[in-house]
Amino acid sequence: MDSALQYDGVSVGYHGTPVLTHVDLDLAAGQSLALVGPNGAGKSTLIKSVLGLVPVLGGTASVLGVSPAAARGLAGYVPQTDTLDADFPVSARQVVMMGRYREIGWWRPARAADRRAVAEALDRVGLADRAGHRFGTLSGGQRQRVLLARAIAAEPRLLLLDEPFNGVDAVSQEAIAGALRQLTAAGTALVLSTHDLAVARDLADLVCLVNGRQWAVGPPAETLTVAKLREAYGDRGVLVEL
Amino acid sequence: MIEPFTAPFMARALAEMVLLALVCGPVSVFVFARRLSFVSDALTHTIFPGVVIGFVAGGLDGLFVGALVAGLVTAVVLTVLTRGARVSDDAATAVVLTAMFSIGVVLVSRRSSYTSDLTSFLFGRLLTVTPGQIAETAVLAAVVLVALLIGARALLFRTFDPAGAAAAGYRIGRLDLWLNVIVALVVVAAVRAVGTILVVALLIVPAAAARMITDRLAAMAVIGTLLIAGAGYAGLLASWTASLTYGIALTSASSVVLLLVAAYLLLIPVRLLRTRRPPAPVERNSPHERA
Repeated sequence: MDSALQYDGVSVGYHGTPVLTHVDLDLAAGQSLALVGPNGAGKSTLIKSVLGLVPVLGGTASVLGVSPAAARGLAGYVPQTDTLDADFPVSARQVVMMGRYREIGWWRPARAADRRAVAEALDRVGLADRAGHRFGTLSGGQRQRVLLARAIAAEPRLLLLDEPFNGVDAVSQEAIAGALRQLTAAGTALVLSTHDLAVARDLADLVCLVNGRQWAVGPPAETLTVAKLREAYGDRGVLVEL
Repeated sequence: MIEPFTAPFMARALAEMVLLALVCGPVSVFVFARRLSFVSDALTHTIFPGVVIGFVAGGLDGLFVGALVAGLVTAVVLTVLTRGARVSDDAATAVVLTAMFSIGVVLVSRRSSYTSDLTSFLFGRLLTVTPGQIAETAVLAAVVLVALLIGARALLFRTFDPAGAAAAGYRIGRLDLWLNVIVALVVVAAVRAVGTILVVALLIVPAAAARMITDRLAAMAVIGTLLIAGAGYAGLLASWTASLTYGIALTSASSVVLLLVAAYLLLIPVRLLRTRRPPAPVERNSPHERA
């Protein structure tokens, strides 16, 4: 099997100071990995390191067969929607088209194939009827789906999602989960961060427990145990959901 | 309404304003969306010493070169300063702005024709633009429009979602430099006609006014262009009428800017009416609430 993501003893962080250490991951095409940990555990930093935006300080990292820096632009990324300006004058369709920009390049206009890819991606997340709406007028869950559609339109082999279910309504949660299952079935490798254990159990083949360092990695049944969670989180905050 | 523009100097002034409208409309959309109003203001001030040095060294031709060099240097310095986020954007920009502007004032105050020079640098001489200067503006306008067209998608992506654009492989620092250089070139193109101070109005007001009546970026660029061209025409007409019919000296560039601002104010009620719609639906049933 192709390895989409391989981390061996990796530490990541800013300005030479590690935020997260001892990360060992091996993710194959079509597999999904949930990064689970409390706020400030280093989940977003780990995702940004895969994207080549935060340096790997130690260990060996390979993303789609090359170094994260060399793989920059190859992996897809779905940011949290609340980081974006809701007043920005762009339509949902325009946002999804951004996923095609690298393919389109600097010069040529968008072709029929690009527009088709955008329409299909919006359809995959159940928002075909909202294409012309301004991004900021959509609900939080719908905005998150538009950002997922943008990533789908780029057709990445590895997709990273930062807390895709944060503040998302039930309908959008179902739509996102369905689209993610379609992606893994088609061979896309997924990494998603979450502090919702139910999401991790339902969607992920592998769970990586992090909090300043990696505490455990493996199938949900082996990692989402009281003992392992207590180890990673400390004694606080583990009682929820168990 | 057309007759005043049969005078060659009025026709040249109008041609200059139309050229500026063609670039300032689209560029102002990015200035607005990237919230670069203050950076644009800074650029207009930092170009000022370049204008003075150029003028002292080479007269009116030197003015253009001086502005160009100062504009490009500022674009680079502002990009570098605001990049690492070690200093806040505002503080760094303000320091550069005031320092450079003071240098300009010191330089210009050494000249005997201090007051009239200062006035023309700050507020421009729209009515005395020459065909050669119009040609220069046209060349700069073409360069700016091509640069904007090439970078439009990347700049849009970076403006809307910096992290997403970086993840997609765009170099954010280079894109910021690109836009800063574009803004600098516009300021250089406009400096002789409307001066270093008033040019900032052409870069900020059109898109802000257009945003009141549209949610679409392309429409904002078109409306912004039409607003500048319209204000250019009406402002020139007003200053012509004021001076010929009523004997009042009304600076043409400031009439143009005042009319632009008036258009902005008139469009505010439209914005208020458009945004009076029901609030966005409140979301329930988040996984956390259910859990």
